[in-house]
Amino acid sequence: MVTEEKRQEILEKLKNAVIQYDEDTSKEASKEALEVGLEPNDAIFSGLVSGMEEVGRLFEAQEYFVPELLMCADALYAGLDILKPHVKQLDLGVKGSVVIGTVEGDVHDIGKNIVKMMFDVAGFTVYDLGRDVPLDKFVEEQMKTDSDLVCLSAMMTTTMVGMKKVIEDLKAKNPNVKIMIGGAPVSQDIAEKWGADGYAKDANNALKDAINMISSLKKLKEEAEAKKGS
Amino acid sequence: MSDITPKQRVLRLFAGERTDRPPCFSGMGNVTTEGLKKFGYKFAALHSNAKMMSDAAASTYKLFGFECGVVPFDLCVEAEALGCEINVYAHLEDILYPTIKKKLIHTEDEMDIRIPSDLAVRGRIPLIKETIGLIKADIGNEVAVGTYVLGPFTLAGQIMELNDLLKLSFKKPDKIGKLLDMLAAAIIIVAKEYEKAGADYITVREMGATSDVLSPRVFKNLILPYLKKIFAELKTNTVLHICGKTNDIAVSMVESGARAISVDQKNDVAETRKKIGNDSLLFGNYDPYNVLVSGTPEKVRETIRKCMDDGVSAVWPGCDIWPTVPPENINAMMDEVKKYRR
Repeated sequence: MVTEEKRQEILEKLKNAVIQYDEDTSKEASKEALEVGLEPNDAIFSGLVSGMEEVGRLFEAQEYFVPELLMCADALYAGLDILKPHVKQLDLGVKGSVVIGTVEGDVHDIGKNIVKMMFDVAGFTVYDLGRDVPLDKFVEEQMKTDSDLVCLSAMMTTTMVGMKKVIEDLKAKNPNVKIMIGGAPVSQDIAEKWGADGYAKDANNALKDAINMISSLKKLKEEAEAKKGS
Repeated sequence: MSDITPKQRVLRLFAGERTDRPPCFSGMGNVTTEGLKKFGYKFAALHSNAKMMSDAAASTYKLFGFECGVVPFDLCVEAEALGCEINVYAHLEDILYPTIKKKLIHTEDEMDIRIPSDLAVRGRIPLIKETIGLIKADIGNEVAVGTYVLGPFTLAGQIMELNDLLKLSFKKPDKIGKLLDMLAAAIIIVAKEYEKAGADYITVREMGATSDVLSPRVFKNLILPYLKKIFAELKTNTVLHICGKTNDIAVSMVESGARAISVDQKNDVAETRKKIGNDSLLFGNYDPYNVLVSGTPEKVRETIRKCMDDGVSAVWPGCDIWPTVPPENINAMMDEVKKYRR
């Protein structure tokens, strides 16, 4: 079993690799984590994701901007690609699958990709439809995959209005599906008016929302385990 | 007081003269579904037809008294002329703005591109020039006729993957600088053609360089030099538009040499006005969707009054006006501006 000291050392390395967008160190520390027998889940959440949370803070403080965010995401993926195959079962207590994409007419997918990353981290099955996605495709894919969550992204006012129709269609076909919308022009007001379950106004908020979602899923899991134990 | 035409008011503003009130116009698209209905035009068909584009652009003035005529309606003209393929979504009834379907640069190795020597006659550039002529003949005596080009960084985001552009701006700024220099030269060629066609003002739309995406430092070091190059070459009235967060770059925007700067609803205009002084022209900054389309007429009036009280030189939207704007809202806006006195 790995000592607490060693564990902290590796976690710190993973965290800093993400913050300093250092892909090489992220890979190296991930391999080391596996070698010394650190629980891969622990390395992902307490290392990589913890680094990404700090990145979110730096973004909010306007010390980091989108280029840095993208490079940090690359560093996270560099580690995740090594760790993920060794995760036995990422049981979050909730079945997670999500359909995600940028709506038709919009070719901006950076925000969408950041959110997708967080779902990847959380072990969700992600059906990524990409960008400029015809509106019907979201409904079709949700039906086909029976996903719990659909995430729609639009970066421009001129494409945002398309989301309204997708929400209506999705809710008509499956009232239980949760819908999250995001992108620069989106507001809480619009999300409520159009019947979306959640919204994120920029990449950072999307990141925070996704992290919150994952944290609450983790909490659910812990509660379930506590119940099992008692 | 209103014995001057909207055109005279706009031109006097650009010339630095006093005007009775701020003009209410835009440098970006402002076609409305009401205008399209009047002619029975489909949005997707406008982009490749000079007569239709001109009719649609003039209709916002004719129907609502909006004080300009602006073409084109999409952001793909320069990228298309440089060799990208575009999608106008002709198969859809809904209004969607054209996008780039196929980029010019797919990897970092392909960044060494050249400007085609016949750029001025490629793609839809001759069509836009023709349209500027048509709209001038139609309403050019009454209102100022405007057009726009993209800024070099935003154009770079059209011709290459945005992901790569952003990361390379950080990792290899020299390489991006070289590309921006070349694109600035291309933009100058296109803008000069529009000058020749008689545009009264040209807006350079550099929304990719917003502080929501890039740090003010990167804006100043990497992008501003090429914007300066562009504005130094243009003789007509110019506007630099950047949306999103712009308070920390507003002074740099003025330094670009643009005659006026344009900001959106995320800018604290009262603060910006203090920073840039009273002599600089500042256009803005109402939300063209959440206020103009989905707000009530009262909300529109309140917002427009605040823009003017905060110190805008012209009442001007934060982006393209979304076509489904309700007539009562645009009428409320025009009325509020017209009764305003400095």
